[in-house]
Amino acid sequence: MTTNTMAAGAGAYDTHQQRSRAAQWRADKWMMVGVFFMGTAVLGLIGLPFFLRGLSLQMRAQKAGFTVRPIMVTLIGYLVAVDSALNSLGWALDLIGNHTLLARVFLMAWGNMFDGGYFWHYNELWIGGASAPGEKAWVVALLPLMFSMRIAAAIAFLQMKRWGQQWLVVTCWFGVIAWAGYVTNMTIFADVRYAGVVFPVVGWWLYDIFYITPFLAIPYLHTVNREIFSD
Amino acid sequence: MKNPVISEQDRRRRRSMIVFQIVAYGFLLTMFLIQLHMASVRNW
Repeated sequence: MTTNTMAAGAGAYDTHQQRSRAAQWRADKWMMVGVFFMGTAVLGLIGLPFFLRGLSLQMRAQKAGFTVRPIMVTLIGYLVAVDSALNSLGWALDLIGNHTLLARVFLMAWGNMFDGGYFWHYNELWIGGASAPGEKAWVVALLPLMFSMRIAAAIAFLQMKRWGQQWLVVTCWFGVIAWAGYVTNMTIFADVRYAGVVFPVVGWWLYDIFYITPFLAIPYLHTVNREIFSD
Repeated sequence: MKNPVISEQDRRRRRSMIVFQIVAYGFLLTMFLIQLHMASVRNW
């Protein structure tokens, strides 16, 4: 917002706000389509150009002087949304749809390539799905609690709501606990998880290192000016 | 040289964030190295 805009009066200010909102919404539409596809994992590559187009629209609007969301908020918000969507889809398949054709193709391939927990004695527990020690408890604890909270928090964060920022802080710390516990579980039962898989250890880490968004976002969330988020 | 604009509280917060990052990434790295070591001695 420039001094000229202010001097021009309330009418000019309203027009500026209206045009800013329109520019933001236009960029968001592209980014939401991109995130929708990326969140499905399988169609991820289709979503990336949509997301990048939306991001460039927002950056252009920012350069043009419109009052749009900070780029860092946009990146963290959408990244968390994609992370939650990917985990929710995979683990919902394992928890509920473990006998579906999709699970048998998608999760079996994952198990065969990187994580034997999704191959070894699969669907032999009374609840179905992964049988690796401890894995099911993580699925039950993290899917309905953490990831659903996280996706809601990401949406509110993108809307620049105060509770979105607060809940992103909460769920990011929850994510730290989840990662510490999950990786320790993987290490303790490494003989189950990595025996006979195509790419043991390095393959799993290369794929999963991208899920460390909580670690990346925490410093920003704790140091950002909280006043930019509204009640 | 200390930046006078940054308050003491902000400085402490930033320092604690750096410590947190080192601990968190250090933990992950340790787990990765343990797994890598296991991979080298086991016939996976």
